[in-house]
Amino acid sequence: MLSLENITKRYGALTALDGVSLRIEAGEFFGLLGPNGAGKSTLMSLVAGLRAPDAGGLTLNGHPLTADDPSARLALGLVPQHIALYPKLSAEQNLRVFGQLYGLGGATLRERIDEGLEAMQLADRRRDKVQTFSGGMQRRLNIIASLLHRPKLLLCDEPTVGVDPQSRNAIFEFLERLNREGLTVIYSTHYMEEATRLCSRIGIIDHGKIHALGTLDELLLKLPFEEEIRFPADGGTAALVAQLGAQGTVEKTEDSYRFRPHAGVKLSQFYTLTESLGLPARLFTSQRPTLEALFLHLTGRTLRE
Amino acid sequence: MRTILVLVRKDFTTFFRNKAAVSLTFIVPFALIWIFGGVFGINRKDTGPSGIPLAVVNASDNPAAAKLLAALQAEPAFKVITTTTAADKSSRSLREEDLAPLMRDNKFRFALVIPADVVSEQEFGLHLKIYSNPRNEIETQMVNGILQKTIFANVPQLLGQSLLARGRAFIGPDRQNSFNRGLADNIARSFGGSADEILKDLESGNFGFGEREGSSAGANAAGESLFTQAVHIESVQVAGQDVTSPAATRIVGGWAMQFLLFALSGAATALFYERDHGIFHRILAGPVGRSQILWSKFLFGVSVGVLQLTVLFVGGRMLYGIDVENHIGMLLLMCVFAASACTAFGMLIASLTSSPEAASGLATFVILVMCAVGGAWFPVTFMPEFFQQLSKLTLVYWAMEGFAQVLWANASFVELLPTLGILGGIALAVMGIAVWRFNRGNIFG
Ligand SMILES: Nc1ncnc2c1ncn2[C@@H]1O[C@H](COP(=O)(O)OP(=O)(O)OP(=O)(O)O)[C@@H](O)[C@H]1O
Ligand SMILES: [Mg+2]
Repeated sequence: MLSLENITKRYGALTALDGVSLRIEAGEFFGLLGPNGAGKSTLMSLVAGLRAPDAGGLTLNGHPLTADDPSARLALGLVPQHIALYPKLSAEQNLRVFGQLYGLGGATLRERIDEGLEAMQLADRRRDKVQTFSGGMQRRLNIIASLLHRPKLLLCDEPTVGVDPQSRNAIFEFLERLNREGLTVIYSTHYMEEATRLCSRIGIIDHGKIHALGTLDELLLKLPFEEEIRFPADGGTAALVAQLGAQGTVEKTEDSYRFRPHAGVKLSQFYTLTESLGLPARLFTSQRPTLEALFLHLTGRTLRE
Repeated sequence: MRTILVLVRKDFTTFFRNKAAVSLTFIVPFALIWIFGGVFGINRKDTGPSGIPLAVVNASDNPAAAKLLAALQAEPAFKVITTTTAADKSSRSLREEDLAPLMRDNKFRFALVIPADVVSEQEFGLHLKIYSNPRNEIETQMVNGILQKTIFANVPQLLGQSLLARGRAFIGPDRQNSFNRGLADNIARSFGGSADEILKDLESGNFGFGEREGSSAGANAAGESLFTQAVHIESVQVAGQDVTSPAATRIVGGWAMQFLLFALSGAATALFYERDHGIFHRILAGPVGRSQILWSKFLFGVSVGVLQLTVLFVGGRMLYGIDVENHIGMLLLMCVFAASACTAFGMLIASLTSSPEAASGLATFVILVMCAVGGAWFPVTFMPEFFQQLSKLTLVYWAMEGFAQVLWANASFVELLPTLGILGGIALAVMGIAVWRFNRGNIFG
């Protein structure tokens, strides 16, 4: 559906996107995971035609997307990173303006406004000025406003920043439902939990480059370990840590240790060791590694810094 | 076009929802012309300054000097001070040596000394001394002018006395006395009247320039008739004869421009808000072009500008009787063109800067320069030649010109056309630069 071919974008001396190639299929829920300044918004703005790339090309359904041809973008909706609403207008008035800009009107527009407000549980606040809304409510409205013209592809640029868990869930469920109904979504975030929960495929982006691309399982396979074991850092475990060096790597984080076995090392070997040292099994929690760990592995940085 | 209208309507809805903006839009122009009108004394019966402190020291026992003092006291422009309070709180007459220290203390800025030898036999003319602390150029010139008017209007006989004194020095007192006697007898014989009265007039220097001292019309009438007899000026006004409120009509164009420029360049900074809140991103991601956003802002700016000018002129009509109703068509046309030029100016300022603060800083500077050079504060003809040429490059000049053409000279559409053309040209050119700047990316981030 959307393809990016070797896209480069510079702001003066700074290269915000550096040879990015990406192909997104219809119906996907694609996640763009990266920290601040990774180039997520820049990528979104190129797809939305707000900027032109310095090199490379974009096509949507086989047609080139250029900054100066608005008609090609009708199938596309952008949820900007900012809350892009008129604070002095009511929720309804805002939606009407944005709908009308897409040439909508009359009963069609009214229905879609009702539907959106209903789905996002804002119907009872429709006549209130947006400036009286909470951050979460504004975020929800910000999404509805991008869907009125029924785009085929929705670009969500960090749509949940500053939103409480309840609003966040409402947004997730709404987007998941739309995706099931056929909407293709590109969703940028720096929360690995969001990418993990929502996205069928994830691209890890940093410093303008896509470092890894694939489903969650595919990505986690890139890690040189499959499991990770945490245990508290105290006098009792010190002897264990001293003997673990041959089996894998141990890292100390605040008051706990994190053990990642080398490839080929069986977990049974680890537990044999702990038993021989008389350490109770309840001290150890084993978990799948996270995207956070993958990000650290790929870039040497954490997602939130 | 539909897109532009949707955006303009949105701007209006936002505008009317903003109570502060609405009341400012409608009240400010009204308040402005009320205050300006007060400051400039529009439609006051006695135009000109009033109550300027003027110290007078009269060291002469000449009766004409006392009369001059009385005339100065009667002049509304002056508040005559003749006494000073000594250290012991007692009041005494001012002396010449008091003047400089008191003036340095800023007790008054002008003083007139009538010396003992106000009329001397050594030279023709009056001897008066004016002290001044000319802190303000215009005030100084006005005070000098009014002083001269009062002196010459009220005491023509001082000049006559001066003439007589010179004559006396030249031919000797005896011969002059007998000359005057003979002259008085001759006049009485030819024109009637008492020879003694006429002699008294002659000796006090009153050569019949006006009515006799002590007669009914008083001092002022004598002076006026002296001047009207000396130089007869016939005044023919070629335009504006039937302007009901000349002072306000002359000045209103300048006010309007100053006000509009500030209001509309302020409005243009709304562009920054929309940029910073991602609204441009949302709109531009849809089927809306950049220039459509700009033209919608332009259209909105012009509409608000015309609305404000309407309020301004309605206020001018109510407070100062500016003749609006007989010029509605042309006036409206002028308002549209003036508002267009001002809106375009605001957009240009926004396109040249990258934050609302920078924009309002630059706007303030450019507006003040344009208003000064364009003649909103000070007649262009008073400026050096270079600035007179420069002023023709400002939209303020042309807008004032246009308003004056309509309100002062009853210009027809055809007569107004060149001015409208220039304003429209300025608006288009300036807007062109702004659109070009915006399209190259600046304000869209
Ligand atoms: N208009 C601009 N002018 C100059 N540099 C810019 C501009 N917009 C972004 N950048 C730079 O480009 C890089 C990528 O920015 P971008 O906004 O795409 O990152 P992001 O991944 O969206 O970050 P965030 O999570 O903070 O939104 C950053 O280093 C940023 O400073
Ligand atoms: Mg971003």
